[in-house]
Amino acid sequence: MKCEEFEAIGLERSGLRMSEVDAALRDAAAEHAARCPSCAALQESWQETRLALQALRETTRDAHTAQRVEMRLRHEFGMRHRSRRARAIAIFAAWTLATAAVLFAGVSWWNWRLTQTQGGATSAGNTVKPNAPTPAVSPSDASDEATLVADNQGGDFTLLPGSLPQEVDDSAIVRVGMQRGALSALGLPVNEERVSDWIQVDLLVGQDGLPKAVRLPE
Amino acid sequence: MSIPEHDRDDVLLRRAAKGDDDAFTALYRRHQAALYRFALRMTGNAWAAEEVVQDVFMTLMREPKKYDAGRGLVGAFLFGITRNRVMKHLERLPREVPLEESNGNGVHPQEAAVNRFTPAHWAEQQERSERVRAAVLDLPAEFREAIVLCELEELSYEEAAQLSGCPIGTIRSRLHRGRALLMAKLEILRDTPRRVSATT
Repeated sequence: MKCEEFEAIGLERSGLRMSEVDAALRDAAAEHAARCPSCAALQESWQETRLALQALRETTRDAHTAQRVEMRLRHEFGMRHRSRRARAIAIFAAWTLATAAVLFAGVSWWNWRLTQTQGGATSAGNTVKPNAPTPAVSPSDASDEATLVADNQGGDFTLLPGSLPQEVDDSAIVRVGMQRGALSALGLPVNEERVSDWIQVDLLVGQDGLPKAVRLPE
Repeated sequence: MSIPEHDRDDVLLRRAAKGDDDAFTALYRRHQAALYRFALRMTGNAWAAEEVVQDVFMTLMREPKKYDAGRGLVGAFLFGITRNRVMKHLERLPREVPLEESNGNGVHPQEAAVNRFTPAHWAEQQERSERVRAAVLDLPAEFREAIVLCELEELSYEEAAQLSGCPIGTIRSRLHRGRALLMAKLEILRDTPRRVSATT
């Protein structure tokens, strides 16, 4: 064995790593140390160094961090996760509020739509006979009024000339007192002998404020 | 004896990541001493070692997902971070003053050893450890690391290579060179140089 080889093998400490070295090499190293004073001195020097290293190991064997490090870390950990939790709560609250707002809006819209539908149904209740024949009243025929009255017995309106059935959907019913002659202004034929009579008339007034249909209540 | 499932490092780390304070504390208590000892032996400075350990666990707290179970144990992961922090510290401060201060608890690092020996033995050991401490801290970082891991932490070459992230052959050569430098320094300290080859 050469001195360089001895340096690589002979300085292994006994124990864990020494067992890794081949036994034959170990014996050769011991033999070399017995023959070579320089390597023997090196081995002795290493033994002393190793003792010093052991002493150093002993002095720091039980070393550990100060308690304050643990306290600092735990404090930081608490802060970090508390703020994360608070953020999660805030996000949850925001989403809850947003969901509640959407639900409220949805319910409100649904109610409004329901109201509208019912209103439409009420309007639709005032059924108009779009194809109802315009009363053909001649000045000499008093039975014309009877025709109109007969139409109204069912509670139906008669469309005024020029009105469309669609225009009466959202109309309001207005009962007015007027002279019979005023019916001619609505485009209805009137018996001239009775133009000065006062009568009650239900007018179906459209959204534009104009009468669309007429009914003579009983 | 095997560690119960709920006490395993990776389980504790998962719980800590979810905000479990007890899990984080358990993890800290389990690993802090080994990491601190390594940092202390490498830097020779209790304050710096404490900072390093604190930094390591802050990193773990901030980025627990950095740990990949497929690449090794939590202990090795923590040791890897510690090693990086220590190396950065040594780059900034190439050489620290020798360890003389208390470790922050008000407890001197040597105190634990005091009660186990006679005063004469302790004094002799103190003197020896002071010399070797100065010599170890004087070594270049890579040789110092090899000496700390293999001689002070008593790890095998394989373990040391794994922790250092280098091949076993590199650890062997670093250790060999580190020993030679250490012996030379100690002999110079004793004024009894014996072998020139150790200093070359």
